[in-house]
Amino acid sequence: MALTQQQPTLRQPSAALFVRLKLRVLANNMRGKSWRIALFVLGLAVGLWWAASAFFLLAAPGFTDNVDAAVLASALGGGLLVLGWALLPLVFFGVDETLDPARFALLPLRRRTLVTGLVAAAMIGVPALAAVVATSGLVIAAALLGGWVAAVVQAVGTVAGLILCIVASRAVTSAFATMLRSRRVRDMAAILLACVAALIGPVQIGVVALLENADWQRLLGPARVIGWTPLAAPYTMGIDVAAGRAWAVPLKLLITAATVAALLWWWSRTLESAMLGAESAGPAKAAAATSDSAVDQLFPRSMPWLPRNRYGALAAREARYWWRDARRRAGLITFAVIGVVMPVMVNVSSGGLSGSTSPVMISLTMVFVGVIGAASLANQFGYDGSAYAANVVAGVPGAVELRARLMAFTTYLGPLLLVIAAIVAAFLREPADIGLMLGSLGAAYGSGLAINLFVSLHGAYALPETSNPFAINAGSGVAKSLLSILGLIGATAVAIPIVVVTALVGGAPVWLWLAAPAGIAYGVAAAWLATYVVGDMLDRQMPELLQAVSPNR
Amino acid sequence: MVKRFDAKVAVAGVNLDVPAGSFYGLLGPNGAGKTTTLSMAVGLLRPDAGTAWVLGHDVWSDPVRAKALLGVLPDGVRLFDRLSGAELLAYHGLLRGMDPAVVDQRARELLDVLALADAGRTLVVDYSAGMKKKIGLACALLHAPRLVVLDEPFEAVDPVSAARIRDILHRYVTGGGTVIFSSHVMEVVERLCTHVAIMAEGTIKRVGTLDEVRGERSLEDVFVEVVGGRTATGEELAWL
Ligand SMILES: Nc1ncnc2c1ncn2[C@@H]1O[C@H](COP(=O)(O)OP(=O)(O)O)[C@@H](O)[C@H]1O
Ligand SMILES: [Mg+2]
Repeated sequence: MALTQQQPTLRQPSAALFVRLKLRVLANNMRGKSWRIALFVLGLAVGLWWAASAFFLLAAPGFTDNVDAAVLASALGGGLLVLGWALLPLVFFGVDETLDPARFALLPLRRRTLVTGLVAAAMIGVPALAAVVATSGLVIAAALLGGWVAAVVQAVGTVAGLILCIVASRAVTSAFATMLRSRRVRDMAAILLACVAALIGPVQIGVVALLENADWQRLLGPARVIGWTPLAAPYTMGIDVAAGRAWAVPLKLLITAATVAALLWWWSRTLESAMLGAESAGPAKAAAATSDSAVDQLFPRSMPWLPRNRYGALAAREARYWWRDARRRAGLITFAVIGVVMPVMVNVSSGGLSGSTSPVMISLTMVFVGVIGAASLANQFGYDGSAYAANVVAGVPGAVELRARLMAFTTYLGPLLLVIAAIVAAFLREPADIGLMLGSLGAAYGSGLAINLFVSLHGAYALPETSNPFAINAGSGVAKSLLSILGLIGATAVAIPIVVVTALVGGAPVWLWLAAPAGIAYGVAAAWLATYVVGDMLDRQMPELLQAVSPNR
Repeated sequence: MVKRFDAKVAVAGVNLDVPAGSFYGLLGPNGAGKTTTLSMAVGLLRPDAGTAWVLGHDVWSDPVRAKALLGVLPDGVRLFDRLSGAELLAYHGLLRGMDPAVVDQRARELLDVLALADAGRTLVVDYSAGMKKKIGLACALLHAPRLVVLDEPFEAVDPVSAARIRDILHRYVTGGGTVIFSSHVMEVVERLCTHVAIMAEGTIKRVGTLDEVRGERSLEDVFVEVVGGRTATGEELAWL
């Protein structure tokens, strides 16, 4: 079919239109919802507070008239900022998809218009504002060190850096989302994601080591090198002028521009498949019909102990979902990496060098791992979205529902926690401590489940219906972080008795043996109790919960 | 029943009596409040006032008994779509407390009759819109409820599948079941229903048996008159 006709000249909308659209969507999201406004203001305050501290830190070299310090601050600060923008959305916050690219699929927009428009719109938001505030500290430093020419160059660099940050974050999340969506490559993508998450640990350790290492002179060399990488090139320009290396400016501009161009190209390629929403799962494996009966298909073979009844069906479905739903899978894998890296780092750096790690420290880090592991359930009903209606219509008793969910999740997390304890024990060369580790993990994980059952019922919120596992709605981002922090604090508080006992008893051999059964029993009891208490509440609130997790309302 | 969303009154007092064994059509333009009404009737949305009875059981005070008699196909609701068709049916069946052997046998029959067996292990996310409606319908019928409530069952369904769905529903009503469904497609309603209610702006405008409501005219004429649609003069949209 061909439809030919002289084309009417289509005027492409300007980037300002996208910005206005985003502002309008943000405003409409908040209209008449005072709690959303409150959350937004809170997020703004926190962001600005961080930004202000960073601002003074970055501007300080200007006041002390120390060019070397300025080189350090700009290279390391800028590098961390860009790295953070690129990687953190994958792991923690998700990327703001207030303007979902898929919504523009049908409009006659050139790709270039769309990409510039989306970049412009992405500049509206608390993170971008905070980044601008923080890095303008460098402009002040450049002005004090090198006069107004340096300041102007630095200002240009700061803007270029912001664009770099935004484009990097979009490109990386978009690429990962595309990978995770197509089921064929999901395993590879999962491993990649895990590596990205794992990068954060070493970076963090490196920074801590740098801060402790007072010999700043030795860092100058690496900082200069970083200043020439795309990570910090835009942020070091003005300082270069102040240091008398004005010739570096055009080169660094070139580096930045080339990087942005490359990222934009990468992004616009993955954007296309995101817009098509192509579940390019490859040829659907339709042919693989099995002779298994329907019920046998539902139940995973690896969970033969599940009864063939309502409880079993709920648990089987949940277990399937923890792997088949890209959002949940991303959470699981991220935790797997963080859960191994974090305790090893903390324990090794706190006492590993001097020889032995204190039992309290081990217990504390394990409590933290267990609590974080359980935090994946904080919005468990949000993952279901409106599909949860099936359970409401069937009138599933709340306690059964919750028990099944905990069982399915623990099928994944339980072995994972065991592996984590084994790895950490191996790293610390303290096999005797494994009982203490298991006890702390069990108590913390159980307490975490209990607290997160409360959170998941009372703090449920809808996730956007996109195929990007990292997408969240602006506004709910703050709510999300706030809730998970509340959950973490609450769970830690519930689990703290085990740390207290460890502190009192110390490394007494009895406790090393007793810790595992006692801690695990404590955790199981906490979780069990919570399924009844929260299950009772759930029985009375099922329709309200469904409303809360249904999107677009 | 009454439901308010913030300032908007979505359903302003609806009182429907659905006789057992009837094929009941709830007609109304978009935004009339059909989905809201049906959601309140099946226990998905708490009414601000009023309640719903299913064969003598109050949905809101005796949900267990009432819900056991109900099969529901909600509108615009995602299914647990990361399951294959067979898995989804097994899930719904067991959730209703059915015997696994019965679930297996009925699931196979339903998949065959609705021509979904070919899809094999394809996940429901990858189904077409029409296939999703069909598997949703299968889930609603699996436990042989006495009353099925279907919200827009014929939307996005191709004519062949629609005919098949009509057949199934017809047989179900003949066998003593009761169907209530919402739609804004006149022909379907006129062809199938014994009873009709026309809804607009949150209230019931006309109600009765099909013949009572349409009288001498076609259902479409009555509907347009009741809802107050505007007739085009032919002047506007001249550029099209
Ligand atoms: N959760 C909700 N929040 C706010 N308004 C809603 C909600 N659900 C429905 N409405 C509004 O109530 C009215 C009736 O909607 P609905 O029952 O979905 O109509 P129908 O199904 O007949 O098309 C619409 O104007 C809709 O915008
Ligand atoms: Mg509707």
